[in-house]
Amino acid sequence: MSYSLNEMEATAKRAARGAGYSWGLAEEASKAARWLCVQGQNGSAELLHVLDRELTDRLDDHRPHAIEGVWKSEGDLCPVVVGALLSDCARHLTDTSIEMQNVAVPSLLLPFAANVAKLTQQTVSVDCDGAVAKTDGVCLELAGDFPDTARRVVVSLTSDAVKAHQRQTRAHPDKASWDALNRFAHRTYAPATEESRKLGAGAGLSDND
Amino acid sequence: MRQAADHITRRAPEDVMRLKRLGSLHQCRLSFMRVLTRRMARENWKFTRPVFNINADGVGNAVYTAQGPDRAYSLVAFAHDLPPEMRSDRVIATAWDATFTLFDGVPDAADIQRLSQNVPLQEAGRVSGREISVSRANRSVRLWAHFVDALAAGQQPDQEKIDAVGYLMRTTAVYGSGKLGASDREGIADREEMAVPFQAEMLSVFLTRTFVRDLVQHVANAKGGDQAVALDPNIARQLGIGNSTGLGMAPFIVNHPVLFNNWIMVREEAIARVRALKSASADERDVFTSLLQRSAKSVDQWRSEHPIQIKKLNELKADLKLLNAYLSGGALAGDAPWDKLMNWAATALTEEGQELVASLMLEPYGDLVDGLTTCMADSNKEAFVIDGAATIAQTRALIKDSFGWAFDTDWTEKENQARAWYVSEEKLEPRLGERFEEPIAEYEQPLAPARDAVAAFNALASYDADQPIAEFLLQHPEHRHTIRRAQISQIAPYGEIRDNTISASVLPIDMLRAKLSFFGATRFDPRSDRWVRICMYAGAPYPDELTHENADLWVYPEVAQ
Repeated sequence: MSYSLNEMEATAKRAARGAGYSWGLAEEASKAARWLCVQGQNGSAELLHVLDRELTDRLDDHRPHAIEGVWKSEGDLCPVVVGALLSDCARHLTDTSIEMQNVAVPSLLLPFAANVAKLTQQTVSVDCDGAVAKTDGVCLELAGDFPDTARRVVVSLTSDAVKAHQRQTRAHPDKASWDALNRFAHRTYAPATEESRKLGAGAGLSDND
Repeated sequence: MRQAADHITRRAPEDVMRLKRLGSLHQCRLSFMRVLTRRMARENWKFTRPVFNINADGVGNAVYTAQGPDRAYSLVAFAHDLPPEMRSDRVIATAWDATFTLFDGVPDAADIQRLSQNVPLQEAGRVSGREISVSRANRSVRLWAHFVDALAAGQQPDQEKIDAVGYLMRTTAVYGSGKLGASDREGIADREEMAVPFQAEMLSVFLTRTFVRDLVQHVANAKGGDQAVALDPNIARQLGIGNSTGLGMAPFIVNHPVLFNNWIMVREEAIARVRALKSASADERDVFTSLLQRSAKSVDQWRSEHPIQIKKLNELKADLKLLNAYLSGGALAGDAPWDKLMNWAATALTEEGQELVASLMLEPYGDLVDGLTTCMADSNKEAFVIDGAATIAQTRALIKDSFGWAFDTDWTEKENQARAWYVSEEKLEPRLGERFEEPIAEYEQPLAPARDAVAAFNALASYDADQPIAEFLLQHPEHRHTIRRAQISQIAPYGEIRDNTISASVLPIDMLRAKLSFFGATRFDPRSDRWVRICMYAGAPYPDELTHENADLWVYPEVAQ
């Protein structure tokens, strides 16, 4: 079944929040999933791989402790956190490349690399243990498969052009990952009680007038 | 020739973005319904009814097609036989008197068959990228029965009964932008006729009103046979489509700060442009005063049983008396008449009166303000991306600018955080609960920007002024949504509500009215502090009547000269 991109984004946001990310990072994760779907990637499954890693239990162990130097942490880096950081550090890339070690689900970095491309108006290259992705912000060119976890990721600006391709206007998530995202999303819904129906929603008046 | 204008600045966000004022906004010539009817008349849109398969009990389906210069859009309507016990305006309802979708183009039999399996189910069904909106409506039981009985018996309906309700059906939700699988807004946003926000939804309601008129006639004819008469077009024109709206709209304006800013900023820019005029011609003054009289009639027709709105209506009526007295001295004939009028209104009238004046004084100046409507959409997708190089000092200044007023609020006091917005498991509808009485806090949605801004501001205290915000965000992901909003406020100065959205005394209906006024809704009738009924398109021409002459000012009822 196809879904609208807004449905994809809304579900991804709720799922990321349900998995324990802050609202701001859940917003980033949902835009990332949407962007991957636009590129014809399975944004639903990619995001699910991240959420299944349960990195939010100890997020401090999955983020770099400083912006300077190689980005690494005690555990594998969370791609939502370092993706957002990459986007926040877009201007650093005009001087130098950014290197990361041990990144979980590195494909999730690509939408953030696209932010960098838009902000710097240059093509961004993401080298992930030898598999290279390039994006100009609008389109994505992939050479090789991205691993589940990358030992070394290098992000840098390049003057290469990116081949234009057809962008998707609908999301086609596989049922298993879509259902799983919805189970994460479900954690953000308050169980309905008679009291909440009464206090929380409509006027409670009859519509037979 | 109109005299060159002095520059007048727009009203300040700290004045405009108070909930009490937002809850007093009125429709104006920038409203989305009027933008649509003006366009359809100007471009000579053609309307047809290619399908009308409705039986004698009023059950079946119909298609209404609106053909513009480049594209056609079709309302596909399904009429149902709904037992009274299932008729609810709540979003948790599962059946309705009628259900609709706006189809992109002209549907064929297979499309209608597919939609008949899904649209009547609303949230439990699925539509496709060929559909732009999904909606449903319930009858006003008392007025519907009266219309059918009267017309079937060969009589026109009773005017008093019409005045008391104003519509035969009210919609209880109009879903757009990708909901239930429909087309995303992005899929239609580049079309000229869809550039202004909510044009598809407004078209859907415009056609729905025609369907409802036809349906009541059809049922009356079936009941009355040869005795039945045709509904007087003058009566039909008075009928609007009602709408019953709850909390879904309130989060919308918080969650779309750029979009909401654009609506408010465009209206404020329009007001500033008119205020800057050095004089008003006799014709321009006549337009204003005649529409003021017609507005007064509209206010007289505005019914509410809710104590808050009853009080506001009484104040508005008193405002209108003061306004008439002010104008009787020839105030508009002098220099800078509109600026003086607004300055006087700010001291003499309530917010209801002030905002009515502000909306009305745009009316003579379509050439000056109508072009602004193209700036009301949000096409700035890049605003989402945070600039990590911005400094701590810049961020502090932005927060202070939008939320300086909230620094004095004691956010540990119960009354200042009494409420929490959450999403219920049932139907995934937004609700507003009592934080200290219900187990909802852990499900809270980020709809208290003021509280969150103060928390972020406090957390920023331990950082150096010239550090980049990226460093703060790395340590404090919990403030990321707030920093994003702060940066967005640079391009969206009217994007933040300057009131506490979780206080014990917050009135969500103020947020609903702010949004609905931009649609062009009238007759706001709160049913509680979080639920409001309104009327849309009352007085408007039907598609077969639409002309350049009647396409715009239909919102103001005619008065005897």
